[in-house]
Amino acid sequence: MWLVRKEWRELMASRAWWVMLAAIGPLVGVSFISAVRTYAEASGLGGTAAGVGEAFSPLIGVWAPTFSACELAAAFLLPFVGIRLVAGDAQSGALKLELQQRLSTRVRVIAKGGVLIAGWAIASLAPLAAILSWIAYGGSVYVPELLTVAVGHFLNAGLTIALAAATAALTEHPSTAAILTLTVTVGTWILNFIAAVHGGFWERAAGYTPTAMVAEFQHGLIRLDVVLTALALIAGGLGIAAVWMRLGVSVRRRAVESVAIGFVTALLIVAFSFLRPSWDLSEARSNSFSRADEQMLRHIDRPLLVEVHLAPEDPRRSDLERNALSKLRRVMPDLRVQYVSTTTIGLFEQTREHYGEIWYQFGDRKEMSRATTADGVLEAVYSVAGLERSAEEDDDVFRGHPLATPPRHADKVFYGLWPATVLAAAFIVRRRG
Amino acid sequence: MAELLTLQQELRVSHFTKRYGRLTALADVSCRIVPGEALGLIGPNGSGKTTLFECLANVLPSDGGEILRDERPLTVDERTRTLFYLPDAIAPWPTETVRWALDYTIGFFRGRRHLRDEVIHALELEPLLSSRIATLSKGQRKRALLAIGLLTPHEVLLADEPFDGLDLRQSRDVARTLRDVAHGGRTLFLSIHQINDAARVCDRFVLLSGGRVCGEGTLKELSALAPPDAAGQPDLEQVFLALT
Repeated sequence: MWLVRKEWRELMASRAWWVMLAAIGPLVGVSFISAVRTYAEASGLGGTAAGVGEAFSPLIGVWAPTFSACELAAAFLLPFVGIRLVAGDAQSGALKLELQQRLSTRVRVIAKGGVLIAGWAIASLAPLAAILSWIAYGGSVYVPELLTVAVGHFLNAGLTIALAAATAALTEHPSTAAILTLTVTVGTWILNFIAAVHGGFWERAAGYTPTAMVAEFQHGLIRLDVVLTALALIAGGLGIAAVWMRLGVSVRRRAVESVAIGFVTALLIVAFSFLRPSWDLSEARSNSFSRADEQMLRHIDRPLLVEVHLAPEDPRRSDLERNALSKLRRVMPDLRVQYVSTTTIGLFEQTREHYGEIWYQFGDRKEMSRATTADGVLEAVYSVAGLERSAEEDDDVFRGHPLATPPRHADKVFYGLWPATVLAAAFIVRRRG
Repeated sequence: MAELLTLQQELRVSHFTKRYGRLTALADVSCRIVPGEALGLIGPNGSGKTTLFECLANVLPSDGGEILRDERPLTVDERTRTLFYLPDAIAPWPTETVRWALDYTIGFFRGRRHLRDEVIHALELEPLLSSRIATLSKGQRKRALLAIGLLTPHEVLLADEPFDGLDLRQSRDVARTLRDVAHGGRTLFLSIHQINDAARVCDRFVLLSGGRVCGEGTLKELSALAPPDAAGQPDLEQVFLALT
């Protein structure tokens, strides 16, 4: 308990945390205000034809952009808070004293991680203020999808904290740790870029980068493999931090233990990647086919092979993935997708005879289609499986929640009240000591 | 200073070695720690005093060596329970006050709560209790650190340069406090590079030079190894110069 209390006091004394707290309000504010304004205009505010926003979902229209400010804060502000809390002890010499208490470094790291997550929870009051403002405007709130987004951002913060803790424990100086942390962050962006260019294994690996993970949650989708992978990475990062805090252990042994942790984490991630359960908690069911379609697709119990002749950078390929294949994977565990292309951009492949074709094979039956929409893919799948598609029920259609209200007073809350409150709180807390 | 947890059996520091690449910081260092004594580790700058303390306290990995009690090597856990190392030139928990640091030491290490006021008084820390550690002068910080060390529950206190940064009067007062602590039964192992300070406090001495032990014993025992001064009196300075 003493340790947790001490870590909490360290956090409260950290300027980095107060700066993050002060900055996250305006960051969330600018995203929220812009999103609500766009949403309102699309819903008919200021002369736009009413009805345009009929299928608008607050999840995509408001919460994804609003919470993206948290992603920014987690990538660029939170690491410094984490590094400060972990490296501060080594810098001041407190670590040498505290290591002489018979307390596992794992407990120490967990205490620091717990306090940092609590600090992040306080920072999350900014998006909570956005949610309350939205409710005050009369906006619709679907709690499961909002909770999904929040869970995604907490996991993302956990990943950042684990990474910052590992780099802070590994390096001698906080500035080196900061550079290393940002290098890893930029590295994941590069991985996303490589995945977009080369597809295949890279695409699969890029699915577990923080950006990709958060994107899934922001669409209201909880995938078991993603959650478990994030937890494994968090545990791995904190584990490495705990190993490198043990100053009395030889560097060689610490390196071996770190490699072992990395190996186990990698094994777990590979194992988790085979898990298929997922839950679409979006109100619009934007990650799922209609219930009737899902029921029929679940009856297909033989493997379906899809051969896609599209290059990785061809926009039709990402349309196909997003609109259909990602939904199909959720209900058909035996789906196997094979991409065929000889170039990455596909520009000079267009003239090839089979470019753009999507082949569906079910047993010895084969069908070809060029459609990349959900309906087009479903038709091809039903056709090759020899099934008759039932008519879409009215209940399955998401009507949306248009809201033609401007973001009243949000600027005062996020640009004025929030920073002023944070400054006042910082002054009071630091003065009390 | 009364009611201190005391070391019951002699500890033997046995064959400690530490290398940094080609540099040997400690070469087969061995010595004894006798219960209730104030043992001085004497050596010039760079002789390996801090390295030895850090290896003993297990905050720096050694390349060999163990601490024996009754001819049995102490496990890492036993070592952590027995020895407390107080480093030199650190400013732990810089944003916290001295009062908080002392209370935290007592709480976190399950330290000697009953000695709190006595230690504060002996080290004249009353006026500093509300000061943040980062704002203390070198001498004030040293006294606060010593208080932290004295409040820990460990049987042996390894203090690195306990007089560094103290003025003459403070050095004398701290020396007196440390003597009281040793008389109270707590075993002290003090790394000191000023010979006069060491002579004021310590019962026995370990002379360290270039990472090697050059001599160990009381002033009288060591004097037998070196020529006496002009007055024929044993002089630690002469002994040190002669043996290192």
